[in-house]
Amino acid sequence: MHDLLDDYAHSSALTKTSPRLKLLLGLGAMLLCVSSATPIAPIFIAVTMSLITIGIAKTPGRFYFTLLLIPLSFALLSSGVVAFMHGGGDQLFAVNLFGFLLEIREDGANLALLLIARTFGGMCSLFFIALTTPMMEIFSVLKSLGLPDFLVDLSMLMYRYIFVFIDQAALIHNAQVMRLGDAGIKNTLKSHAILSGVLFLRAWEQGERLIVAMDARCYDGRLSLVEPAARAKPRAIFAVMIYIIIVSAIAFLTKDIRLL
Amino acid sequence: MTFIIETRDVSYSYGDGIEAMRGVSISLDEGRKIALVGPNGAGKSTLMLMFNGILRPTTGEVLFHGQSLRYDSASLREIRRKVGMVFQNSDDQIFAPTVYQDVAFGPVNLGYPEEKVKRYVGYALAYVGLLGYERRPPHHLSGGEKKRVAIAGILAMEPEVMVLDEPTSNLDPASSEEIMDMLDELNCGGKTIIISTHDVELAYRWADEVILMENGGVLCRGTGQEVFKDSELIRRARLKLPIVVDIYKELVGRGLLNGSNPPRNVLELTDLVEARSRGTISRGATGTIHIADVDKVGPDEIKGILDEADISYAGAMGTSAKVLAEQVGISLDFTYGVIDKCILKALTGKNSLIMTSGGMVDHSLRRIRGYGEESGSRIEAVKLEPPAGSRADSKKQEASGPKYSMEHAGMAQ
Repeated sequence: MHDLLDDYAHSSALTKTSPRLKLLLGLGAMLLCVSSATPIAPIFIAVTMSLITIGIAKTPGRFYFTLLLIPLSFALLSSGVVAFMHGGGDQLFAVNLFGFLLEIREDGANLALLLIARTFGGMCSLFFIALTTPMMEIFSVLKSLGLPDFLVDLSMLMYRYIFVFIDQAALIHNAQVMRLGDAGIKNTLKSHAILSGVLFLRAWEQGERLIVAMDARCYDGRLSLVEPAARAKPRAIFAVMIYIIIVSAIAFLTKDIRLL
Repeated sequence: MTFIIETRDVSYSYGDGIEAMRGVSISLDEGRKIALVGPNGAGKSTLMLMFNGILRPTTGEVLFHGQSLRYDSASLREIRRKVGMVFQNSDDQIFAPTVYQDVAFGPVNLGYPEEKVKRYVGYALAYVGLLGYERRPPHHLSGGEKKRVAIAGILAMEPEVMVLDEPTSNLDPASSEEIMDMLDELNCGGKTIIISTHDVELAYRWADEVILMENGGVLCRGTGQEVFKDSELIRRARLKLPIVVDIYKELVGRGLLNGSNPPRNVLELTDLVEARSRGTISRGATGTIHIADVDKVGPDEIKGILDEADISYAGAMGTSAKVLAEQVGISLDFTYGVIDKCILKALTGKNSLIMTSGGMVDHSLRRIRGYGEESGSRIEAVKLEPPAGSRADSKKQEASGPKYSMEHAGMAQ
């Protein structure tokens, strides 16, 4: 079996709460992260969102942290470059590399810190949504927000068949590896090209079979039966509001604090 | 009498000019279990796709209730509602991202109001034993569960005929038997069931009528016994004999048996052998078969009979019976071919209990009594009577009658 975020969302303890509220919390936190002037609010968000995801939504902690490592490693790499690129303020660190002077100054360091904090906070918020809200609920929110039916329908069909094609891709990949399709870079590339080509053809055929299947059940242009999503409990709305106000307050009050 | 589905001299060529079907004329009776049997590429699937107008014959015509099929969109909708089709690959059929949405697809497109859609979906899911799976995504289901969802999606449209392409392919034996058992139950409720298969055992045991196909044409049709009598024909169709027929033929070959009609099942084969070896089927004490209608008797009565009568074997037919068995905690000895198994056990002097519901109750009684008359052995079949103050909902179930009916089921829930 494949380890998919959506599967974790299905088994999350927050699956049955209102998707709108979860989106509001996740997106709100994310926006505050990117608009915050200092790293303090994003760090607060990162910590609290992780606690919510692991503590309340019961996502396995180990899985959560391995998941976070991926964006974190990117953020660390890029902020390292940013730290060296921006001048201004006192010199904090310098190294002479074959006659080139590489130095980190205050502004650069601050910017790098902010970058890491924002990425971290933003990813924690995004993972909160991804790990608690199954795709289907996001569709129902999109529909209630007035997205045209045909777009919702198409996304639902695409979503359904992603899993069929993941299975097929895995089967084809296994068949290739079994016959040493991954021996050497040249072979690997070639195998991947074949896999993509075959998947495209399979998708095409599946599309034709899909039309037959829908026609066989009297398709009349109606597909998007999005179930009404769970309604938010007043207490939950209240909690989310309080959280967002606190984060906004932190972001506002700390906007002039410089860490370095 | 008109047939429910009839084809007259139907031929079909695919776009590349390959003739998949040549001059097929068959007529299918209402309320029967029909198996299209043939090797790969015999044209079984092509023929099935014509029954609900997905493929249009190049020449010839297809009739439903004596009316020639028309291919305008309104007529097609009508025929597709009445002739439900379950594809071989469930992933082709289940395209919605949740079980509920998929089963609701048909009713929604038929324009039913929301409340009715809900009721029908609830009933269809209960029928296939998947209540509580509504929000599951299909990729979290097993092969057997996917097949059940596909069947529920068709059931929710209340078809008269159900056409299933290779319903047991890719399923483990237990899942296959459960699916076939469910088809039996549906057939008892009055639906005509047509399957295609190359599993000769399945076709021989299950079908009222077998249509042997080969190379785009019909080789022969009749009861399983008639069709599988001719081993030359079977060889030509790249099939093999069912094991019961094979054993029978060998026994006849060695002069241990004689007769012209092969036995239908293990029960008949053992009877033949016994009659031959003992001169007659005369037995001492035979066992009693208790039949419990799970719509009418509750867990208590079933536990009661298990305590009172000396019951060695228990079997269940149909989803509701199996659910009840699980509730009561009975480990089932038989979940398919239940009636025959129980008769076999009764002949060895053992008592058994059959749990079932609806039309299957009378079907079981008839089958057991019919066997008794035919073979001359007395097997007692006792229907478990509901207690005086029977369960509240049993009255409604009774009112709805044995016939599978969506409206009643909805109200009973």
